[in-house]
Amino acid sequence: MSLTLALAAILAVAAVVGWHGFSRAARLRTATRLHSLPSYHGAYAALWAAIPALLLLAAWSPMQSRLVDRAVLSSPEGRSLPAFDMQRESILSEAREIAYGQREQGFNPESSTLAPRIRAEESRFALMGGAAAILLALLAGAFALRRTKPEFRARRGVERWLMILLLAASLIAILTTLGILLSLMFESLRFFNLYPVGSFLFGTEWSPQTAIRADQAGSSGAFGSIPLLWGTFFIGAIIAMIVAVPLGLMSAIFLTQYAHPRVRSWLKPILEILAGVPTVVYGYFAALTVAPVVRDFGLAIGVSSASSESALAAGLVMGIMIIPFISSMADDSIAAVPQAMRDGSLAMGATKSETIRKVVLPAALPGVIGGVLLAVSRAIGETMIVVMAAGLAANLTANPFASVTTVTTQIVQLLTGDQEFDSAKTLAAFALGLALFLITLVLNLIALHVVRKYQEQYE
Amino acid sequence: MSSVPGSRWSEEAMLKRVRKRYAAERRFRMLGFSAVALSVLFLAFLLVTMAAKGLGGFSQHQAALPMDFTRTDLFLDPATLRGPDAEQAVAGADLATAISQSATAAYGEPAAELFGDAAVRALTKAIVADPEILRGRTTIWLPVASNIDVAAKSDGDAASEQLVQRLQSKGALRRAFNSQFLSSSDSTDPSSVGVWGALKGSFLTIVITMLLAFPIGVLAAVYLEEFAARNRWTDAIEVSINNLAAVPSIIFGLLGLAVFLNVMNLPRSAPLVGGLTLALMTMPVIVIAGRNAIKSVPPSIRDAALGVGASKMQVVFHHVLPLALPGILTGTIIGLARALGETAPLLMIGMRAFIAAPPGGFTEPATVLPVQIFLWSDEVDRSFVEKTSAAIIVLLLFMLLMNGLAIYLRNRFERRW
Amino acid sequence: MLPHEEHEGSRLDTPAPEEAEQEPRIPAQVQGMHSGLDVNATASEPDTNRAPKMSAREVSVFYGDKQALKNVSINIHDDRVTAFIGPSGCGKSTFLRCLNRMNDTIPSARVTGQIELDNEDINSTAMDVVQLRARVGMVFQKPNPFPKSIFENVAYGPRIHGLAQSKPDLEQIVEKSLKRAGLWEEVKDRLQESGTALSGGQQQRLCIARAIAVDPEVILMDEPCSALDPIATAKIEELIHELRGRYAIAIVTHNMQQAARVSQRTAFFHLGEMVEYGKTSEIFTNPHERRTQDYITGRYG
Repeated sequence: MSLTLALAAILAVAAVVGWHGFSRAARLRTATRLHSLPSYHGAYAALWAAIPALLLLAAWSPMQSRLVDRAVLSSPEGRSLPAFDMQRESILSEAREIAYGQREQGFNPESSTLAPRIRAEESRFALMGGAAAILLALLAGAFALRRTKPEFRARRGVERWLMILLLAASLIAILTTLGILLSLMFESLRFFNLYPVGSFLFGTEWSPQTAIRADQAGSSGAFGSIPLLWGTFFIGAIIAMIVAVPLGLMSAIFLTQYAHPRVRSWLKPILEILAGVPTVVYGYFAALTVAPVVRDFGLAIGVSSASSESALAAGLVMGIMIIPFISSMADDSIAAVPQAMRDGSLAMGATKSETIRKVVLPAALPGVIGGVLLAVSRAIGETMIVVMAAGLAANLTANPFASVTTVTTQIVQLLTGDQEFDSAKTLAAFALGLALFLITLVLNLIALHVVRKYQEQYE
Repeated sequence: MSSVPGSRWSEEAMLKRVRKRYAAERRFRMLGFSAVALSVLFLAFLLVTMAAKGLGGFSQHQAALPMDFTRTDLFLDPATLRGPDAEQAVAGADLATAISQSATAAYGEPAAELFGDAAVRALTKAIVADPEILRGRTTIWLPVASNIDVAAKSDGDAASEQLVQRLQSKGALRRAFNSQFLSSSDSTDPSSVGVWGALKGSFLTIVITMLLAFPIGVLAAVYLEEFAARNRWTDAIEVSINNLAAVPSIIFGLLGLAVFLNVMNLPRSAPLVGGLTLALMTMPVIVIAGRNAIKSVPPSIRDAALGVGASKMQVVFHHVLPLALPGILTGTIIGLARALGETAPLLMIGMRAFIAAPPGGFTEPATVLPVQIFLWSDEVDRSFVEKTSAAIIVLLLFMLLMNGLAIYLRNRFERRW
Repeated sequence: MLPHEEHEGSRLDTPAPEEAEQEPRIPAQVQGMHSGLDVNATASEPDTNRAPKMSAREVSVFYGDKQALKNVSINIHDDRVTAFIGPSGCGKSTFLRCLNRMNDTIPSARVTGQIELDNEDINSTAMDVVQLRARVGMVFQKPNPFPKSIFENVAYGPRIHGLAQSKPDLEQIVEKSLKRAGLWEEVKDRLQESGTALSGGQQQRLCIARAIAVDPEVILMDEPCSALDPIATAKIEELIHELRGRYAIAIVTHNMQQAARVSQRTAFFHLGEMVEYGKTSEIFTNPHERRTQDYITGRYG
């Protein structure tokens, strides 16, 4: 029994039970007065039938693959597999793909013999789980139907279910945060078992090329994160901000303070398009169009090391991408400055620009700074532009024409090659991810705090 | 100095100062205008560059090929080429050699490489459509190989250029709409690549994202705005939602890799996993938009419904939510548009594989349009440049469509209280 | 002479004119004023042979299609306090904002008619709005100090207009203005603290000090006490008494007792029209217009 079939069966049970509850209550209604409308009785029964069964099914499906694996390995075909973990794992995954019809044949001959066994176990456990879920649906539905009585408060019951749903939905945010933290920390701890934390945090050399065979030279690899952090900071927090802060701030000032409302209603959405362009498009634009111009410019002014994958090209394009972000944050902050403040300055005979520069901007400064911090957080987490335009060389340099690499670039680089999951190389990606997450978390929390404090100030 | 009040303002020094201040005012205003103008110019430059490079990807050069099927060794019997197996039967024949021979016969030795895989496919289609052509001679227009296409559109290598000139002088070269680009999938041959497979993958992924993120996001927004008590738990939920909205997308990719692939053993490269990952990323955006929309429904509506004896739950689901829906939908569409353009998290969960067939379901290996663009941008072959840019045009059109829809919804339905 | 020295020597130190004290006692019947719509009403007053500081003729204000003010004519003299009273929404604040062209900041607002300052049309192209606002200062309903230090708040005007030549110069202006606003003793030891940290009444006096610092000729006050408690209100009213004579003062107020306490002339506005204008004592004891009487006796408003 497949997952979809079980799902459909449960929903069908719920529909039948719900209809039954509704019609029962409707019959009762002709005789006496009900506390709740018949539709609530129906919904109550249907919810009882559906939700516990669906939960069971949801819990079962990830468990099922484990059970299948265990059953397959303990079967006669499975016992003959090599004991070595990695080899066995690759044969298993091949066999799985054959079983699901994703490939015709594996590299390992064992996988084809294993495939029918996987299919059989798969269907056995699926049948088990599906049957259990459907049974639960029937039982729970019957339980709920028995409560269909005139004085039963079905509406309250339905609302209690809804409340649980609402709470569960909002808990998903916390679960996601926890999931991110735990999965990153778990894999990072495994990485730090292989490679010392201190060398990761303070090492200045990054060369993750580990050897495939033990006798190869340079088999250890160096995972010092300093050059990556510097590259990330250089591109995202320095070059991009040099472009985006003045342009975004001045755009916001022009649009809110000077532009005619009709001009503003046109220009603002156009600026927002810049924020809506997918980052892969910016990346392609940076690599194809901007990078060669930047390199030629660098060579023309005598920087012999100018590379076609430069920090400047990536940073410039990232800055353009960030402009609307800064602009809209600044827009909000400026709009939050009370008109009375502006009037106070204008009434003293200050010109508009004097009012903006000396009164409005200082008053809006906390909000603007919060916005810039959020923009930095977004810039350093940005991936595609730097993957496509910034290069892979881990240089510790302040030369904008040189190639630098970033945390996100290296995460992509480490995880998209073909290698086993447990190597230091792949685990390093999670350690980098953890560092990135923590840095952006701190930036976000500070920024959100500053912005909220600022908004409260004028409320 | 006169003692008339106000005269100090008409002194020369003061007038000069005022003139200077007005000049500063004009400069400041100009500065603001230039900032906006520069940003708009950037956008225009980006779009024009992509259009200039990409529009070529939608067209393809075709060359006229006179074929005498009586003299080729195809061993195909038009009479048997009926029914569903016809395509397979034709594919079994060695069309590539037949094409190459005919091309050499018509245009000389250098023309042997004039046609590529795309031509074979086009010829197959033509034969299946009308097997009768196998009985005689016919001149058929077939797409040229990609290096010839590049040479015809801009400039290629010398040999190709020469061939193009010869064909042009004979009137045997024409430019036609490249319908394959929209209908086929990835391929190693740039002349026969298309975006259909990636589009379908994007569609399946976004469907999963929408089915998960929209209900969860709306329910969470309702809970936080209408029911949550002010306590530490609620604060924790709020902080994590606000933070999740600003977490780098690649982190969600790492989460998807660690949880969905390694712990839950879901299939790699599948729209299901991609959709799940993007749903986690989009949900906070929907929650924030939803809360703002719900907040803007005036309390008087709630009081009115409560006043006629509705329960709190009924008030929310009968009155508040319908009124907040346009705002929520606008936020949802914007969030989904962002998910549609997202690349990095999908690279993490393996959606970067080379996949030549469009996915048939949610659990089959697939790629999405942005990832396809990324993959093509890495190709060395020059004719991939225009394909990449053409795919970007397709992606941008979809983004424009979704954002346009959001703006329309906002203007049409959102009311100010 | 340098602008600042003139500033020093001119009006900041001039004592209030004597006659201002007595003016309200001039008998009402001599005046021959009837309706506020009478253009030359105040010009014909026998007690003042000087030209008015500001005069408005047939001033109307439109917000989009809506007319907020209908043909108001009035004169403001530089030696007395003129109060504008009336129910809310009657156009009194709108009119006040016309006098230093603050309505320019509202995009939909359109002003017609003529307003003169020392016989110069303030809406003409020859009149510079920056200079006009320096000469006609304004104090707002809600205290609106800038989020800067007390010193910087007061120094802002002299700085932007270049009225001080040196740092000591500027410090002197700030001290003088704060003294004049009756705030010096309270803040002299904490000039570097934020202006927003002061109490409401102190903030409003800071705003008055800020307005005085550019040495204006007219001070417009838009319900300056409506956000303050009674004690702070009393201080501001006392301050208005002290400032009278040095500056022409126009005050909008919601509070009739206040108008009676601080002003020598009162104009009553209703539904965008100026119904009646005259000596304060007369308006409150013996109004000519029915509507004025109804308002003063509390029948509406």
